[in-house]
Amino acid sequence: MAELTSFGYFAGDSLLHNLDPRFKLLYIIALSLVCLNLNFLSLLIMSVLLLGLIVYARLPLRSGFKELRYFFVLLVFVFMARVLSTGGESLIDFKFFSISRQGLTVGFLVCWRLAFIVALGFTLISTTRPSEIKAAVQWFLKPVPFIPEQKVAIMMGLILRFVPVIFDQAAETGEAQKARCVQNRKNPVYRLIKLGFPLMRRTFERADDLVAAMEARGFTENRTDPDLVAHQRDWVALTVVGSLCALVIML
Amino acid sequence: MNIIEIENLTHRFADGTIGIEGINLAIRQGSFVVVAGHNGSGKTTLLRHLNGLLLPSDGVVRLAGKRVEEDLLKARQFVGMMFQDADSQIVGETVYEDVAFGPENLCLERAAIKKRVNSALRVVGLQDLADQRPHLLSGGEKRRLAIAGVLAMEPGVIVFDEPFASLDYPGVKQVLQHIVDLHRSGHTIVVTTHDLEKIIAHADRLIIMQGGKIVRDGSPVEIVGHLEAFGVRKPCAYRLGLEAESWLN
Repeated sequence: MAELTSFGYFAGDSLLHNLDPRFKLLYIIALSLVCLNLNFLSLLIMSVLLLGLIVYARLPLRSGFKELRYFFVLLVFVFMARVLSTGGESLIDFKFFSISRQGLTVGFLVCWRLAFIVALGFTLISTTRPSEIKAAVQWFLKPVPFIPEQKVAIMMGLILRFVPVIFDQAAETGEAQKARCVQNRKNPVYRLIKLGFPLMRRTFERADDLVAAMEARGFTENRTDPDLVAHQRDWVALTVVGSLCALVIML
Repeated sequence: MNIIEIENLTHRFADGTIGIEGINLAIRQGSFVVVAGHNGSGKTTLLRHLNGLLLPSDGVVRLAGKRVEEDLLKARQFVGMMFQDADSQIVGETVYEDVAFGPENLCLERAAIKKRVNSALRVVGLQDLADQRPHLLSGGEKRRLAIAGVLAMEPGVIVFDEPFASLDYPGVKQVLQHIVDLHRSGHTIVVTTHDLEKIIAHADRLIIMQGGKIVRDGSPVEIVGHLEAFGVRKPCAYRLGLEAESWLN
């Protein structure tokens, strides 16, 4: 059975769910760029607003946190690196290490910004069907020369579709090897090779089957385009997000 | 009327191995054909010629009188194919999107695509799971989704490659029911299997393959006595001298 993951689309009928995905991608890009230069007060305002939106859209906040637990470990490392590499007024001195007030402030701010960007991504993914994200990317790529936007969109879709299948296969291969006591081999390189090669072989075989299945259903690059229509609410939301960005930059 | 006509079909793979050789076969519209044979007998290779996934090294395959290679897209719309591994066949990120994949390739209008997808999902009973991610479906549901994906192309012939592989009893019954319903609604059905038990009661023609050739072809009652000589187990009912009984009863 495939492992359930909360990092995916959650059906709903909130404003966030109904916004045009092209506009949502624009909001994400704008807000992510703006948040890189925000101070504590602005970031606090933005975070409270985002949290409010997540609660309003009834997204699974708790399981979202659980899913992101490894990201928080990464944040700890980022925090440590910032704290230890930023000079300033020393708070703690221990042998070669020195922790400064500025280091703590900068480390905290950087981690908060990164967490905010990830929360934006979580909100986008949870309220937008993968096909809508794909359609929006395809729409943005259309005017770019030398990039086959239909192909890119199909590839994006296939990645989203097959990552869980590859994880399932990895888990199955791993279990089959555990059943033959692979854990007695302490060399991690040996274990990685023994897991990696069968997994890659199976993945390539599946890719072959997939090509046949897609051809059998008449796959062609000349397909029906996705249906994207901007409503008044999208322009209103764009104005609100634009104004908010300008406001927090000025704060 | 013969909907599929195969004349002297031979397929050689790139390494020189002969996949199938000298196949002559005509399939009537609306018939229910089962192709049996042990692993490696050439069943899947034969099926893949029906919609141009493989093209003949020698010989001709005609669909409704037209050679397959003349219009591959048309051939693929006309002959819907269900693969052995449903997981590899499902390409959409949601159930709805997977079923829409085929009609989108046919460049239909959005409204027509929606109509076809909803109709196909209703036929296989997955309309309530339209927003579900396919990898969370059960084995039987995945198989039904693959059937819906084929139905949305509105084919005349539907080809099933080992449709019951890895399915539990309820899953087998569901898939079998859909195959039988599709046959009743006028589709020509071709099923390959090495496990005849589940399907033989519904077939009106049985073909046995061995070594890439058709070695027996006739009604199931005529052919069933020869099965075990070609590595296919005789269905239990026939062993007991009874008539084959449907798994749907």
